[in-house]
Amino acid sequence: MKTSEIVAVGAGAVVGAQLVMAAVRTSNSVLRPPGAKDEGDFLSKCIKCGKCIEACPYGALHVTGDMIGSAVGTPTLDVRNQACRLCEDLPCIAACPTGALCELDNRRDVRMGLAVINRDLCIAVKALRCEVCYRACPLIDEAIHIEYKMREGDAIHSVFEPVIDEDKCTGCGLCVERCVVDNPEIAIRIVRDRDEAKRLIAAEKDKVLEAYRLAETWGSNPDEYERKGGSGPRDMSKPQA
Amino acid sequence: MEITRRSFVKSAAIAAAMAAAGGSLAALSGCAQAPEKETGTEGAGTRTGTTANVPDEPEVVVTSSVCRYCGCGCGVLVSVKDGKIIQVAGDPENRSNRGLNCIKGYYLGDLLYGKDRLTKPLIREDASTKGTDEGLREATWDEALDLVASKLREAWKADKSRIAFWGSGQQPITEGYLTSKFWKAGLLSNNIDPNARMCMASAVVGFMNVFQTDEPAGCYDDLDNADLFITWGANMAEAHPMLYSRLTAHKLQDESVRHIDITTMKTRTSASADTVMIFKPGTDLAIANCVANYLIENDKYDHQFVEDHLQFKMGAENIGNAYEDTYDKSEDGARSGDTTPSTFEEYAERLSEYTIDYVSELSGVSKEDLTMLCEAFADPELKIMSLWTMGVNQHNRGTWMNHNLHNLHLISGKYGKPGCTAFSLTGQPSACGTAREVGTFSHRLPADLVVNNESHRRFTEAIWDLPEGYLDEIASPGFHTIKIFREMSKGNIDFLWSAHNNWAQSLPNLTRFLGRDGEHMGIFDTFITVNEVYPTITTKYADVVFPVALWVEREGQYGNAERRTTVFQKAVEPMGDAKWDVWVLMQVAKRVLKDETIDGEDAFEHLFGFIWDTKEDTFKGNDREINRAIWEEYRIFSNPQMKEAAAAINESAGLHMEAKQLAPYDEYIEQHGITWPVREVDGKWLATKWRFTDGPQEEGYDEVGIEMYGKHGLANNMSFYKSAGQKPSVVFRPYEPPAEIPDEEYPFYFCTGRLLEHWHTGSMTRRVDALNRALPEALLYMNEADCKSLDIKDGEKVRLVTRHGSVEIKATTSARVAPPQGIVYAPFFAEETLINLAVEDYYCPLSKETDYKKTCAKIEKL
Repeated sequence: MKTSEIVAVGAGAVVGAQLVMAAVRTSNSVLRPPGAKDEGDFLSKCIKCGKCIEACPYGALHVTGDMIGSAVGTPTLDVRNQACRLCEDLPCIAACPTGALCELDNRRDVRMGLAVINRDLCIAVKALRCEVCYRACPLIDEAIHIEYKMREGDAIHSVFEPVIDEDKCTGCGLCVERCVVDNPEIAIRIVRDRDEAKRLIAAEKDKVLEAYRLAETWGSNPDEYERKGGSGPRDMSKPQA
Repeated sequence: MEITRRSFVKSAAIAAAMAAAGGSLAALSGCAQAPEKETGTEGAGTRTGTTANVPDEPEVVVTSSVCRYCGCGCGVLVSVKDGKIIQVAGDPENRSNRGLNCIKGYYLGDLLYGKDRLTKPLIREDASTKGTDEGLREATWDEALDLVASKLREAWKADKSRIAFWGSGQQPITEGYLTSKFWKAGLLSNNIDPNARMCMASAVVGFMNVFQTDEPAGCYDDLDNADLFITWGANMAEAHPMLYSRLTAHKLQDESVRHIDITTMKTRTSASADTVMIFKPGTDLAIANCVANYLIENDKYDHQFVEDHLQFKMGAENIGNAYEDTYDKSEDGARSGDTTPSTFEEYAERLSEYTIDYVSELSGVSKEDLTMLCEAFADPELKIMSLWTMGVNQHNRGTWMNHNLHNLHLISGKYGKPGCTAFSLTGQPSACGTAREVGTFSHRLPADLVVNNESHRRFTEAIWDLPEGYLDEIASPGFHTIKIFREMSKGNIDFLWSAHNNWAQSLPNLTRFLGRDGEHMGIFDTFITVNEVYPTITTKYADVVFPVALWVEREGQYGNAERRTTVFQKAVEPMGDAKWDVWVLMQVAKRVLKDETIDGEDAFEHLFGFIWDTKEDTFKGNDREINRAIWEEYRIFSNPQMKEAAAAINESAGLHMEAKQLAPYDEYIEQHGITWPVREVDGKWLATKWRFTDGPQEEGYDEVGIEMYGKHGLANNMSFYKSAGQKPSVVFRPYEPPAEIPDEEYPFYFCTGRLLEHWHTGSMTRRVDALNRALPEALLYMNEADCKSLDIKDGEKVRLVTRHGSVEIKATTSARVAPPQGIVYAPFFAEETLINLAVEDYYCPLSKETDYKKTCAKIEKL
């Protein structure tokens, strides 16, 4: 091999590595199918064959759209549109020819991310009986449970607050798909990096929640209404989920 | 659809892979997006354009109202701007919910603005198109009204046993009252029944048999006072969300408060209960008797309460099941409601077989749990509130189970003190207010009156200005619900009119009733008229569809489970050409009753002249004035002093009609709902929260009623002044098995019900995008072990087959509803998963309410 060739290959390798790094930096927040490990591992093994996408009976998997570099063409999910349904036999993993999606003993071992509830937006936190995410969860009472507590200043209503189990949530995203709140954003999301997710959950717990503010267009006297303990309306001028 | 989507995904994947291998990035854009879901967020109303920063902002008008959906009856406030609802919020001044709602209430305003609202009358020319999406064409109101009226008149004149009206516990009170008046006094037909028959009838017959007056004596405030809650076959956490919030709040405030969930399967209600007792279907009868037996055997019943208040009876036994259409007239059917006077000792004797050992063996509930339950009732200090709904009512012995619960609470004296009551929850917003209080049943007249009682007919005639004896023609009850539809399926009903229900989805045994069995094809011959707001399976079978006002598009009133009557004010105009049901009723009535007379006067004028101007062919006032006028006539039934002739019969026949006294109409609006009986004290109309319990009226006790008719100083300060001999009846009811028992061929019990996100058949909640997103499909909830043994994976489609029909449905092992082995569960909200094709139509012989909970089934892997 000539020196010039060595230099060329070496330069190519450097550029390639930089591209991979760039891809990791930009795509590590993207959700990956069950069985994927960290983004570097996944990207190094995924050959973009599309077999996991074909294998998904729910059409939950699709290719990444706006990634650059080697992340382009890899499988991902938009859980708001179609969440992973945690198939018992995990056909996506079975279809993967390279081990980019690693075999798991049980669907409970899937770790696509961790759900984080935005407590400012969650209407269950405001004592409306919602808890859609809780009832939708394939691992109800394991990955998510209800914390029952009194509603402040109200003797006859309790808050049924959904709480994520940080160890058991698989990040399948069915809670995100089903959430009834999407204004200004969905009240629950999947964060892929579990450590980051745990930090966010801790911050949510510490939040001092604002009183449920009434929308600007409310016609009666809002102060009077709140004093009487009303929960406030949904502003129908905003689009619903 | 699925293939298309998957092949799209596949090609997108390939395109992306190629692009990654060296294609340009631009080539990717647009082809690698996530497949779009059809969420339909474009519905009007979901984006009602509140134009920000417009200088001449139109005024926002707020009216008080009540939720359209369930029997909790939560008050709401509706904000309207520019003729459109812009907000709905909990009403803090409604004493049933005090300002909070569930998600159905949160999204309540969106219900009006689904994309496919019916806004034009529709006519079907060709009956063979029934059951399809085709065949209905738009028509004018006159054309549709003339057609319906001519068909009804023709059928009525020919044979009035061949017409029927199927109403609803969602019909507002004044509408139900007028419909009943038209059908019973105008057409002299008792073939009118509500969907509440399939929901509350067992509770009604239970209350009537035990107390001779319908509806619970307690109220929602009992939830704030009990020491022990017992849910019997009730998934309150999902079906009564805000009441469950209240129950939970009470538990949270006092650690000693407990909740026992007695159920056939683990539900979201079980999830927060302290003890869950899973029993084998049907054995709840024995469990209640077991406790009663324990109390008597151990001398731990309430002697004073028994002495002061109770009489004992034996009921007919071995009454079979309504397998055949001829059941009602069979020997078993005819005697099924019989009772004979008895003694406490005889009652005790019959109970004695229900030992803890025997009942534990029969029910599958452990002896320890049964003992704990017995001991709870034995504790004289413990305040116990029993709550039940469909598990008890939709039961082949539903009336019996209602009896057994009352029996238990009565002999233990757990009745009438705040926190101590046997409380039957309701499923519909006005099952109580309309179906039960107005009495839109085949055997009833308004206000607890029945057709086969002479003085009840005289009293009704007095109020309706009918000649004495006029209603004798309807002295025999008409067809109850299943009878109507069984007869229709055989071609014996010529005209059916339904309103505020969706029977082609909600009835059991749809394989038969929709003619899917190829044998019962009557539905194609019956002329079917449907009042509706959205297309449903029922409108697919309609010959004429009347588009009607939805919820606050007119004024109406609902009566909830705690006897609270609440007005929902008119807030917006009906959509398109939709009309108020009362307008439709008047238009049909005046056509059908043309040239008929009552007492020498035009019949229509005689019955409805008080609200309808025949010359001008219009109402004699606006929505408020018409509702008030109807209410004030209806109110005479419970305020007989308003009319001399009525007062005289009330007095002479000892009817005690004031037991259900209602207030003047405007009081309900001012007070944001009131629980009856409502008493006028010093010029103020005061609610009664605890019926038959003595105490200050101002605090919600039944002081005025007891002063009027009852006695002071009896056990628990109660006086059952409406009961025969002022003594409720404890009727012995044994355990008898379900109508179908699992066998080798059909090894599962199939149970059906409701889940929080959707209400009933989903005809309204599925038009609300957020709710449809929250729960888009109906699943069959199965036990994991059953799935394993049948090799069914979570999410796989299966065929559920019963003796009555079959349905394909996806199975799930998600524990939202977690049945034990041998039981499967599915909700009935999804019309594309028509589970009622497979549900039995065997009914409780006393209440004629069918058992939606225990059809035997097999599950086939597809």
